[in-house]
Amino acid sequence: MPLSLSPKIKATNREPFFKAYYMNIAGIGIIFTRGRGIDSLGIALRQGWVAPSQTKSLNDQNVFYPAYRVKKETINDITILKKIRRADRFSKIAVLAAWDAVVDSGIQINDKESTIGIILATAFGPHVTTFRFLDDIIDYGDGSVSPTTFSHSVHNAAASYISSLLNIRGPTVTITQFSSPIHQALILAKAWLEEGRCKYVLTGCVDECGNVMEYICNQKLRIANNGKIRPFNFSALSSSVPGEGSVFFLTTLENCQNKYCKIIPAFQANRDTIKKSDIYIIEADGMAGDETSYQNTAPVDVSIGGYAPIFGSMKIISAFHCAAGALMIKKQIKYACPVQENPYCLNVITKTESSKIEQICCIRKNCANETNIIRLMR
Amino acid sequence: MKIFITGIGGISAAGRNITEHLKSFRLMKRNAGTVSLFDTSLPYPVFEVKSPPINKQINKQKNEMRTLSLAMSALKEALQDAGLQKDFSGIKAGVCLGTSVASQLNDIDFYRTYRNTGAADMAPVDRFLKGNLAEAVAKSMKASGPSVTVVNACSSGADAIGVALSWLRNSVCEIAIAGGADELNRVPLCGFGALGILSESLCRPFDKNRSGLNLGEGAGILILETEKFLRLRGKKSALRLAGYGAAADAYHLTAPRPDGSGLEAALRESLADANITPQDVCFVNAHGTATHDNDKVEGIALEKVFGPKIKFLSTKGYTGHTLGAAGGLEAAFTASALRECWIPASAGFIQQDENIPVRPIREQTQINGSFAVSTSLAFGGNNASIVIAKD
Repeated sequence: MPLSLSPKIKATNREPFFKAYYMNIAGIGIIFTRGRGIDSLGIALRQGWVAPSQTKSLNDQNVFYPAYRVKKETINDITILKKIRRADRFSKIAVLAAWDAVVDSGIQINDKESTIGIILATAFGPHVTTFRFLDDIIDYGDGSVSPTTFSHSVHNAAASYISSLLNIRGPTVTITQFSSPIHQALILAKAWLEEGRCKYVLTGCVDECGNVMEYICNQKLRIANNGKIRPFNFSALSSSVPGEGSVFFLTTLENCQNKYCKIIPAFQANRDTIKKSDIYIIEADGMAGDETSYQNTAPVDVSIGGYAPIFGSMKIISAFHCAAGALMIKKQIKYACPVQENPYCLNVITKTESSKIEQICCIRKNCANETNIIRLMR
Repeated sequence: MKIFITGIGGISAAGRNITEHLKSFRLMKRNAGTVSLFDTSLPYPVFEVKSPPINKQINKQKNEMRTLSLAMSALKEALQDAGLQKDFSGIKAGVCLGTSVASQLNDIDFYRTYRNTGAADMAPVDRFLKGNLAEAVAKSMKASGPSVTVVNACSSGADAIGVALSWLRNSVCEIAIAGGADELNRVPLCGFGALGILSESLCRPFDKNRSGLNLGEGAGILILETEKFLRLRGKKSALRLAGYGAAADAYHLTAPRPDGSGLEAALRESLADANITPQDVCFVNAHGTATHDNDKVEGIALEKVFGPKIKFLSTKGYTGHTLGAAGGLEAAFTASALRECWIPASAGFIQQDENIPVRPIREQTQINGSFAVSTSLAFGGNNASIVIAKD
């Protein structure tokens, strides 16, 4: 007969999943709809909202799906990608972001082979390639499919390319998660660093948005037909615009010169763990559907940011917000929110300007209404 | 910090639980056959789980993926073994499981309909969205700790156990469900067939005349606990998860690094992590898929680290290659073998390959030692090694 846990055990285990230790972000690489690299992010944050692209529906030429897609020219880097010519778009997006994060760090890692680990998080993986493989099965039969397409449909192909191209031979893990992928990746990165498994962890995420995913989003989510995500509406029926891209952080416990900021991830946070910060980044992007609970996490006396309208809606959007927050701390600039509708009269950032920023708290509510946060500190 | 293994569960074509697996191993039963779960023109034998209620590709009543059903079966056994109930509410409990099939939206009927008409029923999408393996298991257990599904292809299960070890050591949680699960599915069957690595006969790991792998399915789950938590429960366990090592080949998308240095690095790291030497290891449960490249590279690495006399075996001759479940199942077998003090014959091995410097055991063998290793290699050049200890 199985034994139940004693009440004593339950009572002693209610501390928040939060440790006061931090990692440093030594470098950032980002690929998103507005370009590649941390400079592109800075420019996009200054420019503000831009309308998404529109894709025709497969069954109705009069129906268009808005989406923030990564442009073809953004990933047209022949120098870096020539060794992985056969890689699919998903892998290329991830590889370029990871590559840029290492370059951005400016760290000369002579023995990078075994001192760097890789943690890649994704919600949906290379589904465009998966569907291409299904095309093979449907069109040519079980015995006449492409082995190359199959091997790229495996979730960890992107991480494999990153390790090959950067000659990284430390631990490499690809994870998939819907509710808090980048938080889980960062928590594991911190554990690896604290255990001494690696000196650096290239921690990042990637997701893409193909035609089938656009159709699914259109069926499962309320799409903002005018292309505007409204992060501060806190609506029970929030609207989204699908996005795609990749962000990588080179994280370390070392005190590196070029660092952006300190970073502490936490999931299932409560009010105690959401420490008072100079800026709260509200990560509402329409993916959770009901966003009313964000109201409780946005105090009126703190500057509020929300940049989902720049990136698009994604399960991995926290990584993009984290990159934006890290840039804000490094540059000591607060960026005006791209969509400033503010029905709850919050202290929404309306103007891009210099500001003393010591701490930023990125707050994400998932579909289960759990609160996941990433704290960034100067 | 000591991390204890307190529960073990496993399901595959070789058995519905660990006891049945051990019986199959003793009798050298190999329950392979033709594919019955779906239509295919491919001739390769497979190792299917045929135990009710897991006899359908989809549990339509629950709109649940087969992989999840397999995981829940192994979990039930592991919880019973640990003396735990299926309710972790209020506990810092983590769930880390590896898979490959359950991570992909690869429903052929859904996609065919969408492709033909531009629209499709959302039931397969809903099944996929609620079927993220770790999240689904965490939800069913009311576990409120971290939950991560590892998708490192064939090393997913072993890497998931390694992730859980890191969580426990770093107090991210104090009890964890770790392992892997995967179902037999038409998509990987076609993919592995296209890669030319499926055998048309029963697989022969490490044999000179090996001709490829047989796909299988199943789930292997460990319950891992910190010493403090185990003491609070008033329980004891002789088995520990002592170490984990992982290393990337940084070489090729599908082929292992020929010199075996990736696996060698993972092995050495896991031994260092466990604070033991190669001489302390009494046997290795090898990945041993029966493909030409895997077995050659693995044999080279095993000989380099442990020397030519290492006792090792592959259990894939009994279960087939269960992909994301393999690392979990083989960790469960390794722990069980340490507990039982014997290892089974490496099914399918007859003749040594002169290119492989070591050979697996050919008959059931008594073991007398405190440490054993389980290795996993994967697409993408992932190598993982875990060390299990018996105190």
